[in-house]
Amino acid sequence: MKRPVAVVGVGQTHHASRRSDLSIPGLVREAVDRALADAGLDYGDIDAVVMGKAPDQLEGVMQPEQFLAGALGAHLKPLIRVHTAGSVGASTALAAVTHVASGLFERVLTVAWEKQSEGNAMWALSPNLPFTPPLVAGAGGFFAPYCRAYMTRTGCPPHIGPLVAANARANAARNEYAHLREPMTVEDVLQSPVLWDPIRYLETCPSSDGACALVVASEEQAKKGPRKPAWVKAGYSYAEAMWVPGRDQVSPQAGRLCARKVYEKAGIRNPWKEIQTVEMYVPFAWFEPMWLENLDFCDTGEGWKIVERGEQKMGAHLPVNPSGGVLCTNPIGASGMLRLGEAALQVMERAGEHQVEGVKNALGHAYGGGAQYFAMWLVSDAL
Amino acid sequence: MSRLRNIAVVAFSQAPIVARDEHRVASEILYPEVRSALDQCDVERAAIDYQVAGSSDYIDGRPFGFVTALDVMGSWPAKQDLHLEMDAAFAAYYAWVRMQAGDCDTALVCGYGKNSEGEPERVLNLELDPYYQAPLGLGPSATAALQASAYMARSGATDRDLAEIAARNRAAGAKNACAQLREAVPAATLAATPWVVEPLRRGYLPPYGDSAVCLVLAAEGKAERMCDRPAWVHGVDQRIEMQTLGARDVSRSAGARLAAERALAMAGLASANEVDVIELCATNPAEELILCEAIGVDAAAATPKKNPSGGPLCGHPLMMTGLIRLGEAFRQLSGRAGTHAVPNVRRVIAHAAQGHCLQQNLFFVLGSERRWT
Repeated sequence: MKRPVAVVGVGQTHHASRRSDLSIPGLVREAVDRALADAGLDYGDIDAVVMGKAPDQLEGVMQPEQFLAGALGAHLKPLIRVHTAGSVGASTALAAVTHVASGLFERVLTVAWEKQSEGNAMWALSPNLPFTPPLVAGAGGFFAPYCRAYMTRTGCPPHIGPLVAANARANAARNEYAHLREPMTVEDVLQSPVLWDPIRYLETCPSSDGACALVVASEEQAKKGPRKPAWVKAGYSYAEAMWVPGRDQVSPQAGRLCARKVYEKAGIRNPWKEIQTVEMYVPFAWFEPMWLENLDFCDTGEGWKIVERGEQKMGAHLPVNPSGGVLCTNPIGASGMLRLGEAALQVMERAGEHQVEGVKNALGHAYGGGAQYFAMWLVSDAL
Repeated sequence: MSRLRNIAVVAFSQAPIVARDEHRVASEILYPEVRSALDQCDVERAAIDYQVAGSSDYIDGRPFGFVTALDVMGSWPAKQDLHLEMDAAFAAYYAWVRMQAGDCDTALVCGYGKNSEGEPERVLNLELDPYYQAPLGLGPSATAALQASAYMARSGATDRDLAEIAARNRAAGAKNACAQLREAVPAATLAATPWVVEPLRRGYLPPYGDSAVCLVLAAEGKAERMCDRPAWVHGVDQRIEMQTLGARDVSRSAGARLAAERALAMAGLASANEVDVIELCATNPAEELILCEAIGVDAAAATPKKNPSGGPLCGHPLMMTGLIRLGEAFRQLSGRAGTHAVPNVRRVIAHAAQGHCLQQNLFFVLGSERRWT
């Protein structure tokens, strides 16, 4: 990057199955108002707006950034709209970082959202296309075989998914913004029905209404802010083709390349030792051990052992998703930005009851498409 | 601000616009254009650092339509990538910003979308706010007609003025091998076509069509090796306005005025009249008049020359109509415009717009020489 960039404001909505108290602009404004207040800024201080969300079909509004331009305070400002499937919240924040890193903009507002209750995500994600095999009942049907392949390959035992799911709920119980906060036991998860083998009902993310907004700024502006910023040491988004013989959906190349590029740029040689917490995109519990491997926190086949030993819990070596993550809150388009924003809150030491002790470096991660799109950033408490 | 990097358009490939590409899906239309653009620069895909595309799920008629384009863009091994749900001209804008941020010297910019598989007039209604405006059933022709009426009432422009602008665009399009409508039509004939929505006649509105486009950007040091005559970016700016039609004066384009002003200032130009060619993303003659007024050029004057390609009135493939304007600027500056070439072109303005009534406007100012030394 041409110059340093920092996160100076983080805002998110309270998440629920239906925020029927709010219109779409109202939902977006709840997050944006909080991010601006957090940064000690007002709409007039913003130079450009970068908005992201998942498919427009989820709410039935085409390119809704056009309709939201007024609510976003973007009138007569530059605006771009990002869409990179499930990773979009993260790639959107990275596009905002690029705006500031370029030297052309000082303070950029970025926002990602989804109001899933306005439509039917299952229908929107399961189109019946000519000459193409159907996606079979939403994302779970698509990703379940990869989870099964992971178990077969690594010997991952059947209680790992439930351990991940129960831990996510325990974490979300401490996050006032999370959608699902009721604690549950491993036994509860094991008793829940299988939706798509091996994925059980309680190993599955919810459908949420919600939004996340961040303000990113140049070094000069960040140092003027009321609070300690989170410095973006590196951030990249990668994608890989769908139809490639030998493509490995269990540990996709785009994820590995992206993580390695981020670590290289941020000067991280050993992620397990040098990163204190990670907010990763886990829509189905089995992806937690898969991503621990894909992100080089351990060797191939070792991810589930980290979970089994409980090293990913709060207070342990590498707390994973201290916010509760996607398993407890999933406004699809915003889910990636929530991961990046939560990572920023950790290094700012402002994560409240789900704060991890002594975080110097935190990784925020998201993925999307057929495990093809990856976007992540590494944030640090020091420039 | 430290000096900006000199970045140039070094290749552009476009599938000729047709009403319906009967036997190919959107990504199949795109693939030969990606190969052709890379061939123009004599490089393989591995030589490109970044890729960014512009398309719309609603034009594709499915969620995640852009995923299929990853394959034909050469995303293996995995590539640094972004996708914008916007006209691909904005993808080019973002690629330029990304290249300014460093550690990226070359970018592939793609635009696609098969308009013929849907009904754009109904689909674009869904861009409007879902509570107050969309339920009225307004399509882009209806909102454009409201805008044209407002402009004509304020300026005194007549039906005849609109016909003449349409005729000039149609005559230019007749010389452009990539245009969809390639027949010169006299103003009197266009003025006799039926109203679609008064005051806009059939002959004043663009044909939606199928196409796909690929453009390559490169920074100085590489651009010169990839192209004999790169088209250097001298200035860029884009602005959106709030959508609500009643909340802004649609007879004017405040966003186009501001974006053009900023792009010209970045280019070190005092006026848009200092360029030789202007490619406007005007989807009807009234928009062309509103845009000319906003950027401060005389719509009737011979110079700067407007839309030598024929403009959107001779082919309007949604999600790439804007990027084609940038591609046309490259063609004019690099000696690749063929039968629609304008002689002695040194500077060009390329404009892109999206949304109802010119809601969002983007301007590139390009030149045959580097901007910054």
